Amino acid sequence: MNKIKKVATSKQTVFSTDFDHNFRSEVMRHPDASGLNACFSCGACTAGCPIHEVFPEYDPRKLAKMVRLGMRKQVLNSPYIWYCATCHNCEQRCPQNVKFFNVLNVLKNIAAKEGYAPSCWIKQTEQVAKTGIVFSTEEKWVKKREELALPSLKLDGKKAKKIIELSGADKIKAEDPK
Amino acid sequence: MSKYALFLGCTTPTQVPQYEISARWICKYFGIEIIDIKDFICCGINQINLSIEAGLLMAATNLALAEDKKLDILTLCAACTGALSEAAEKLKDQETRDKINNKLQTIGLEYKGNVKVRHISRVLYEDLGIERIKKEAKKDLSKLRVAPHYGCHYLKPKSAFEGFEEPDNPRSLHQLISAIGARPVNYETLNLCCGGKVFPVSEDLVHSLVQKKLDNLKNKRIDAMVLQCQTCYLMYNDRQKEVNKKYGKQHNLPIILYPQLLGLALGADPVKNLGLNLHTVSMDKVLEKIT
Repeated sequence: MNKIKKVATSKQTVFSTDFDHNFRSEVMRHPDASGLNACFSCGACTAGCPIHEVFPEYDPRKLAKMVRLGMRKQVLNSPYIWYCATCHNCEQRCPQNVKFFNVLNVLKNIAAKEGYAPSCWIKQTEQVAKTGIVFSTEEKWVKKREELALPSLKLDGKKAKKIIELSGADKIKAEDPK
Repeated sequence: MSKYALFLGCTTPTQVPQYEISARWICKYFGIEIIDIKDFICCGINQINLSIEAGLLMAATNLALAEDKKLDILTLCAACTGALSEAAEKLKDQETRDKINNKLQTIGLEYKGNVKVRHISRVLYEDLGIERIKKEAKKDLSKLRVAPHYGCHYLKPKSAFEGFEEPDNPRSLHQLISAIGARPVNYETLNLCCGGKVFPVSEDLVHSLVQKKLDNLKNKRIDAMVLQCQTCYLMYNDRQKEVNKKYGKQHNLPIILYPQLLGLALGADPVKNLGLNLHTVSMDKVLEKIT
């Protein structure tokens, strides 16, 4: 009954006893990832992925499979989940209407809560809470806009700060996984 | 004529003002009325990484601000277009909208679900139409061979754009380029992503993507790449130097935004109206071919 089942992958051996069988439903509970069960691993996502083309280790099909197997820890602490270029080719090509881009966002959100988010996204969210945009006020561009007679920007982060707090995104603190 | 709330986004007004200048000039030329809404914030596309809800709330804030003024939104950035369109699509669902409005009310806003999001190129294509643009073109651009680049979020997810384009075989930018007499060239990596959204996480991935496209265009006698998003612009323009240094290449491809090319065809002042002096890859070779 408890005999170890070997699931071979190209890089390492994984064991089903290590799987978290609730992970799939944890992910699919989010409406954006609810279609994941329809995936039959055809690999159209991976074939159309520009990041996979330049960095083959990034593999949407493999990530989808890992989620469905319950490889919670390996998925959440993988730096690869942050390598998506957000081009949407995966969902555009998927014959089963799985929106892998959205599934990946759900994975990132869970990973972020557990401390795996790259610091760049945390810093950017902090910035938005200050100025409402992803940039700080820098003399260089403020002056340039004046020279070009473009209207000044308001740069008020109050509204953004409030809604970021309401979403809980301000609580996300993390170390860079690298 | 059309009237829109101008959504500048974060990067155009601060890093690529030439896109804003030329877009404003084009709108004025064609009588497209644009209203600046000072309270607009970031579209929320990157906040999705940490919290899907944070991203949706930010997009909804902007949609609500435009709706309050009874305006649809005109965007310049492809990514803002995608994020706001996707949010507008999600917020058509009553339950989702109620949930989001429940939080939006704390900042005094409510979104009822009535805003359309339109990129400036789509406004030119749909509101004005190819024939009108053809009629207005004054200069001869027929010596220019250019490579169109659409920008992923201008086309995808398809469900957010009411079937406006076929993402795997887009044509609207080709037609907008042909309308002013320049020649849009087809190439293998037409739909290759610029990588802009992964740049903060990994510059190396972006360099590989940018190199791939520039290499593909190398021997095609291209005068410029024409695009419609400032993030794509920054990847192909600013990263071009980095790619040259990193991989020992000699790419020197002018990158131009569509409103700038259109402005040239309409006889606009290249510096005053279109900001072509702000480009780091010289535009001289492009300008020489226009008569």
